[in-house]
Amino acid sequence: MSYGSTIKVPFGPQHPALKEPENFLFEVDGEIVVDVKPRIGYNHRGIEKAFELRTYMQNIYLAERICGICSDAHTTCYTQAIEELLGVEAPPRAKYIRVIIAELERIQSHALWVGIAAHEIGFDTLFMYVWRDRETTLDMFEMITGNRIHYAMNTIGGVRRDIHADMVPKIRNGLDFLEKRLRYYLNAVQTEQTILKRAAGVGILKSKDAVDLCAVGPTLRASGIMNDVRVDDPYVAYDEIPFQVIVRDGCDVLARILVRCEEMLESIEIMRYALDSMPGGIVKVKAPMKVPQGEVVSRVEAPRGELIHYAKSNGTTKPERYKVRSPTLGNIPALCKMLLGGYVADIPIVLAGIDPCFACMDRMAFVDAKKNKKWNWTMQQLRRKYAKK
Amino acid sequence: MENENEIVENLNKFLKEGLVKATVPRPRRIFVYVKKDALRDAVKHLTKDLEFKHMSTVTGVDLGEKIEVIYHLAHKGSIVASIRLSVSKKNPSVPTVTDLVPGAVLYEREVHDLFGVNFKGHPDLSPLMLPEGWPKGVYPLRKEHELERLREMTSKK
Repeated sequence: MSYGSTIKVPFGPQHPALKEPENFLFEVDGEIVVDVKPRIGYNHRGIEKAFELRTYMQNIYLAERICGICSDAHTTCYTQAIEELLGVEAPPRAKYIRVIIAELERIQSHALWVGIAAHEIGFDTLFMYVWRDRETTLDMFEMITGNRIHYAMNTIGGVRRDIHADMVPKIRNGLDFLEKRLRYYLNAVQTEQTILKRAAGVGILKSKDAVDLCAVGPTLRASGIMNDVRVDDPYVAYDEIPFQVIVRDGCDVLARILVRCEEMLESIEIMRYALDSMPGGIVKVKAPMKVPQGEVVSRVEAPRGELIHYAKSNGTTKPERYKVRSPTLGNIPALCKMLLGGYVADIPIVLAGIDPCFACMDRMAFVDAKKNKKWNWTMQQLRRKYAKK
Repeated sequence: MENENEIVENLNKFLKEGLVKATVPRPRRIFVYVKKDALRDAVKHLTKDLEFKHMSTVTGVDLGEKIEVIYHLAHKGSIVASIRLSVSKKNPSVPTVTDLVPGAVLYEREVHDLFGVNFKGHPDLSPLMLPEGWPKGVYPLRKEHELERLREMTSKK
């Protein structure tokens, strides 16, 4: 029903439906959204400027902290960019370990998202179940990397820790448990009326719009477009591992839930394959401190979609320019399209539908002086702590 | 067209003197230097005729006297063509490509915020990332703005 006049409703920066501060200005006509204006930047930390002031070694840790959920995707993208500039290649075993960590991160990130989506539609039982099971992935991370979040596995020239033989059966056990649970959730999502009523036909993004608005990742794949950097522009060991790209043509929130659930199952298969066929040998090669002049475009399929880094080096130990575009920014125009014409009550679940990560999206402008202090280690301190091996 | 060199050749024929230089540093990567007048033609040709439908992002780079703007376009998700041009820092203005690639709206705004590049014809260049009350004419990712100075400027309030 149209009331002929519209009202502007600000949504955020502080809002219960947003897990991070961001602002959307909605123009509504009755219950219908007729216009959306995004205003981002509440999480700016000045990371791109900070990249230019730090050495390549320090920047690994900075890249790790662009995002708390997909930190490994950022360091993979960063390290492979710098490796390309240096002409160094990570050893084959390191590439497989990168795949294993990346896929475990995808399961962790998607599981986190399924929980949030369930919470947004008021289905808190599912939220708690999924997050309980997600702990399995965090425990595996702790065992392999020593950390539950910010795994710090990647370094220029390989990975910092090996996956030892005694870890493999434990990882397999964890994967078996996850597979059983995920199959149960996949079935629940397709049959549970609570979910179907809130997700089917909501937040429509047609295939053509998805392409025109340059959507990425599961959002794009849920609109029927086959697109995955792991297949299209293979990096680390993905060209050696057979796997399926999950595509759904529902174009709605339900399709986005299903794509992510099925992707988690696919990730389990990828991890099993990688564990089976992991080559032996070293996991790290030495890389020089100084990076010769050059530039490189590096891409990774992060859990939320295509992640692209651009690096330009000038022959010193610090980059001339480092650009990061996270998948969430790529999905914002598509998100605005999904919200148009929808109900106000559906805003939270549609917003959550792209799995937004605002910390990733906002990067530039400033560095928190207090945080910065923690970062300003001298090269000697850094070397003492991390470059032992 | 699936081959990098074929794409470069095709662009060469299409853009003629509008194309300054094109390089293929490794498989699936192309860098194309174009003149300012040829930018829209290049983007139009790549998106409409050559299947480079996805714009990954727009990057700004401070070259000292000039500012370089790089458009990263992906071919069915595979080959990445980086179309680049440089404009003078004093009056950096580039025609918008948002009517050709609607997904570029926020990317151009980001470069406008942080490098001060004026995208002519862009529907809305209001601040996207910088806070309200940010001083006019200060573009934080330009090299002349050192971090210490930027920090002083914002901590005054």
